[in-house]
Amino acid sequence: MLEIEFCDVSKVYNPGLFKPRVRAVSELCLDVIQGEVFGLIGPNGAGKSTTIRLLLGLLRPDVGKILYRGRTSEIRSIQGELGYLPETPYLYDHLTLEELLAFCGRVSGLSPAIVAQRGVRLMDRLAIIDARRRPLRTFSKGMLQRAGICFALLHDPSLIVLDEPMSGLDPVGRKMVFDLLTDLKQRGKTIFFCSHILSDVERLCDRIGIMNRGRLLQIVGRESFVSKGRDMLHLEVERLDELQNRTLRPFVTALDDECSSTIVSFPATDLPRVADKVQSMGVKVLGSRNERLSLEDLFMLTVKAD
Amino acid sequence: MKKLLALALITFYEGIRNRSVFGIAIFSMFVFGLNVIVAGFFMRDIGKVTIDMNLSGLSVAGLLLVFFVVVNLMAKDIDRKTVHLVLSKPITRVEYIWGKYLGVVLFVFVSMAVLFMFSCFTVILVKGMHSDYFAQFSWTVFSLAALFVFLKIAVLGAVVVLFSTLTSNSFITLIFSISVFIVGTSVEDVLFFLRSGLAAQDVAVSKTLWIVIEVVSYLVPNLAVFDYKISAAHGLMPAWGQLGLSLGYGAVYIVVLLVVASCVFSRREFN
Repeated sequence: MLEIEFCDVSKVYNPGLFKPRVRAVSELCLDVIQGEVFGLIGPNGAGKSTTIRLLLGLLRPDVGKILYRGRTSEIRSIQGELGYLPETPYLYDHLTLEELLAFCGRVSGLSPAIVAQRGVRLMDRLAIIDARRRPLRTFSKGMLQRAGICFALLHDPSLIVLDEPMSGLDPVGRKMVFDLLTDLKQRGKTIFFCSHILSDVERLCDRIGIMNRGRLLQIVGRESFVSKGRDMLHLEVERLDELQNRTLRPFVTALDDECSSTIVSFPATDLPRVADKVQSMGVKVLGSRNERLSLEDLFMLTVKAD
Repeated sequence: MKKLLALALITFYEGIRNRSVFGIAIFSMFVFGLNVIVAGFFMRDIGKVTIDMNLSGLSVAGLLLVFFVVVNLMAKDIDRKTVHLVLSKPITRVEYIWGKYLGVVLFVFVSMAVLFMFSCFTVILVKGMHSDYFAQFSWTVFSLAALFVFLKIAVLGAVVVLFSTLTSNSFITLIFSISVFIVGTSVEDVLFFLRSGLAAQDVAVSKTLWIVIEVVSYLVPNLAVFDYKISAAHGLMPAWGQLGLSLGYGAVYIVVLLVVASCVFSRREFN
């Protein structure tokens, strides 16, 4: 069953008088299936946060529509089952974490006993239980992020929307949040999130969407993503000049110049052909690796090609 | 209703724990204390001066609370995008506006009630020192006048809520709210001056300006209707009908402002 459907959604911002309009999201078609973890990645200004705000009903699409659970375009119908964490959670400075969670419980229709029970469990899990009676203005950035996660998850939502959940966290905090998200995934929750930490996205997501300049360029499923990279081979050769570059390009998938070398990527089955060509050009091979294409490689290739 | 109260409660906590509140409270106590000291400097009407100073102090404290704390409570929510978090919960935008306003009113009421108690203490002190000048003093009228100062602040709170929904910038909200206060307190005098025919002797008022002033007088709340300082100072009980009209005017104005704010907020997009 589809949890969220973006049907040809476009959004243009009007930054003010005499300023050009900004196309934040363009013809976005995207489905998120119930129970999956969907990651949205892209460079800054790609339209990820706008997509999340459209999903939450904070922005209205100029064109197209967003369907929730395949039947309604009213966010209100699923709001009780939605948990959201913004990129930088600005919480109420003078409230304590306990008061914030009590507020969350009251508006979500939870009894005080359940709020206390779930609150303690979440705060304990995210290691902020000792700070529960401190005003939020005394929290560090990482603690605020964890407090924001508690606020998003207290009512045990089935759809979780996270904008940069690992932002501002130290390695220990990142591990805690990562484990928490893995648990939620195992419990069948639908998670839709944006992140710049590609290794986390790669490990956690069932499907990954790559956005650039407001457009969704590619959706890569976990299986297809792994198999796509599995039979790729990468040779590190000395830096190719323009002529060598042009000669080799028809035989390979990608040529990426690094500081003093060039990375030549091609399907493993093409190895004899590429090796012959490299040898005939008299180019020195510095190294090779046959690991699968990392998400970072794929992301860079996709964005560069756009 | 449960959601409104939950929102009102966190707004109240946010307001009452703001450090500016302590500053405003200290300033008000200074004004009340000053009243005790300066009361003896006056040769007559000590009672009138005391009541006037106390109600003015209460009014200024209320204005400071609205302009420096309530503006922050409302506009910063939008400015800092805290509202995104709140609206991701099962709270409608209309509930958000009314809940926030309830919290603001609760905060202003509690703060002003505390200040009113200090004010009463000052009055008791001065009354004890110069009892001859308090022959006409009435606690009922004094309390009613203070209640209408609170109502004026509640109307201004609704104005702040409306402007917060129109702009994301707390400074713009502050400037517009102060403008409404200035126009609101003086509009009745301006209209009286223009209608009395005195204006014709001094200045030529164009038809367009006349229309503009008429329109503004209907748009901007007439805050002078909540001013019962003179009645309180003379210990004269205003007519119940007049009090009822002032109360009704304030209540209707608040409801209208909040309904407009709810409509604007419901259509608003949050970038």
